[in-house]
Amino acid sequence: MKDIITVMKFTIKDMVKRKSFLISTAIILVLIVLGFNVPNIINSFSNEEGAEKILIVDAGNIFEGNLENLPKEDKDYEIAKDNPTFEQIKEKMENGEISSALVIEKEQNAIKIRYIVENTTMMGGVPENLVNAINTLYSNMQISKLGLTQEQLQSITPNFEFSLEQTEEEKANGNIFAMMLMSIVLFYAIYFCAYQVSSSITTEKTSKIMETLVTSTSPTTIVLGKTIGIGIVGLLQMVVIVATALISAKAFLAPELLEAVLDMSSVTPYLGIITIIYFILGYFTYALLYALTGSTVSKPEDIQSANSPVAILAVIGFYLSYFTMMNPTSELNLFASLFPMSSPFCMPFRVMMGLASGTDVLISVAILMVTILIIARIAIKIYSNAILNYGTKMSLKDIMKMYREK
Amino acid sequence: MSLVLEEVSKTFAGKLAVDNISLTLEKPGVFGLLGTNGAGKTTTIRMLLGIIKKDSGEITWKGKEVDRKNVNFGYLPEERGVYPKTKIVDQLMYFAELKGMNKQEAKKSIAYWAKELKVEEYLLMPAEKLSKGNQQKIQFMTAVIHNPELVVLDEPFSGLDPVNTEILKNIIINLVKQGKYIIMSAHQMATIEEFCSDILILNRGKTVLQGNLKQIKETYPASRVEIDVDTDITSYIKEMNLEIENEVDGKYQIKISNEEVAHELIHTLITKGIKVEKFEIKKPTLNDIFIEKVGE
Repeated sequence: MKDIITVMKFTIKDMVKRKSFLISTAIILVLIVLGFNVPNIINSFSNEEGAEKILIVDAGNIFEGNLENLPKEDKDYEIAKDNPTFEQIKEKMENGEISSALVIEKEQNAIKIRYIVENTTMMGGVPENLVNAINTLYSNMQISKLGLTQEQLQSITPNFEFSLEQTEEEKANGNIFAMMLMSIVLFYAIYFCAYQVSSSITTEKTSKIMETLVTSTSPTTIVLGKTIGIGIVGLLQMVVIVATALISAKAFLAPELLEAVLDMSSVTPYLGIITIIYFILGYFTYALLYALTGSTVSKPEDIQSANSPVAILAVIGFYLSYFTMMNPTSELNLFASLFPMSSPFCMPFRVMMGLASGTDVLISVAILMVTILIIARIAIKIYSNAILNYGTKMSLKDIMKMYREK
Repeated sequence: MSLVLEEVSKTFAGKLAVDNISLTLEKPGVFGLLGTNGAGKTTTIRMLLGIIKKDSGEITWKGKEVDRKNVNFGYLPEERGVYPKTKIVDQLMYFAELKGMNKQEAKKSIAYWAKELKVEEYLLMPAEKLSKGNQQKIQFMTAVIHNPELVVLDEPFSGLDPVNTEILKNIIINLVKQGKYIIMSAHQMATIEEFCSDILILNRGKTVLQGNLKQIKETYPASRVEIDVDTDITSYIKEMNLEIENEVDGKYQIKISNEEVAHELIHTLITKGIKVEKFEIKKPTLNDIFIEKVGE
């Protein structure tokens, strides 16, 4: 046990002291902070070009001054006092006083609205809310002219109540987009941390330190100490990354934008704990598989090909959960949440969507743990036999033979 | 009786790597394990330390099976290795701790050995910045840092320059004085002759010669004469049907079958009035014995 801690501490120290590790983590964090600032950055650019102000011109005084009652929403309006010409509007835009203009004109019985912008390809979109508001304002003006009573008015004003229901019993909460995003984060976190185990073992083999190491402690200690050490670093790295993302989202994103992407009410401590448990178990599953493949190579150029079976397994597991997430109440998604190769990527999101009961989670965790024990047994045995093999890359046949060897 | 190997064998994929080898280390000293490349030296050492399992036979240290837990041993493998990007002091600490030392003991031991091996200035550098010879000294440190009773050195001198070879030689002599049991494999026969009281020569996994080096040499008859003269004596040697092994500037090495032939030769030279500056009858060196036993 003491030796496992020694190996673990050495692995952690060695990993966090690496320049490549520090730089890549720093780059990820900077990218996250920048990413959440993209809307702000875009806004600051468009603000520089001129005020987000719309000039409203009521050329024929159709609204009899009632335009002043327009609800002030997300945009700033300026009601023109006189009737500016097209040239005058153009000049105002060039001076940066306004960003666009809405000219309301009466043409016989119809009311014509002209929307004038500097360049139609560069414009942000037609201000539909404003047009709707003008529309409603006009209707109200006309209705009030009819001299209707309050009841009559209410009976013609639409007052719909809208609700959403489903026929299936299970109900999924939350935003699928956010879940897929988090599924990808979890996949990469597990995958890259696990990969580190393989490359760390191969480094020890290629630098020929292995023989000194196995006479200093047992292979089981090395595999477990190394796996736990890298796992701790990976977990901390993931926690820092997710925390930075959540804090940045809260600090830099407009609240309504944040709500559209992620329902913060579903991010509970329970979900946090479940995610961490599945990260740890998923990591161990893949890390031990990587320990197995890593111990069978002795040249760095063979790592890729030796590791590819594990990579394929991970990708299958990931896509199984990723695609069934589109249909979270399907049986295939339930299977993905129990199958040990995909459950780490799938179960946290079923929990987040409120689809998984405590029993489901317990069954899935139990299956994962049994899988980990089986993989650990095989991996440690093959590792013990393979680490001093400095020949060519071992074939599956060699590995099987090695497993059967005492 | 401290270390005993009894009829130990190992087969790799149907090929006999080590065949029925037996050896004992009775008292502190250096035991020499010799053999050509692929003779089975490293396999023997790996079985001895329990890195690979033997197929048959017994290996014991003071009556107990040799194993990391039962024996405090140190090992310098033939495959030299260090963590390339890790600071020397960190990797030494790591191995010292794995071998059961606490931080204080480890620090003290690192300081002592760094001074002995003259590597103090490199302790804070990553290993990849060190020369091969210095990396090898660091590896030697990992083998002895925890003050082991049994030290196994696989080719300790290969790749060292004369200055570092001298440093290491003195350290090994000191280890023997401290009562350590050392098993050393080497190619340099002169080194083995300098240190080892007992030797074992392996050829293709089989023991071809074993025993006390001095006794082995005594069983061999004199094999050559070295003569320094100031004139050409080639014709006299040819007359006696002897073979010249080497001749440089009047320094002759002549192969003989026994001492009688040597006496006959000096007699001839003196009667011919040749001034002999040096005349020495030589026993075969370990190198001669080795080549005779394994070289075909």
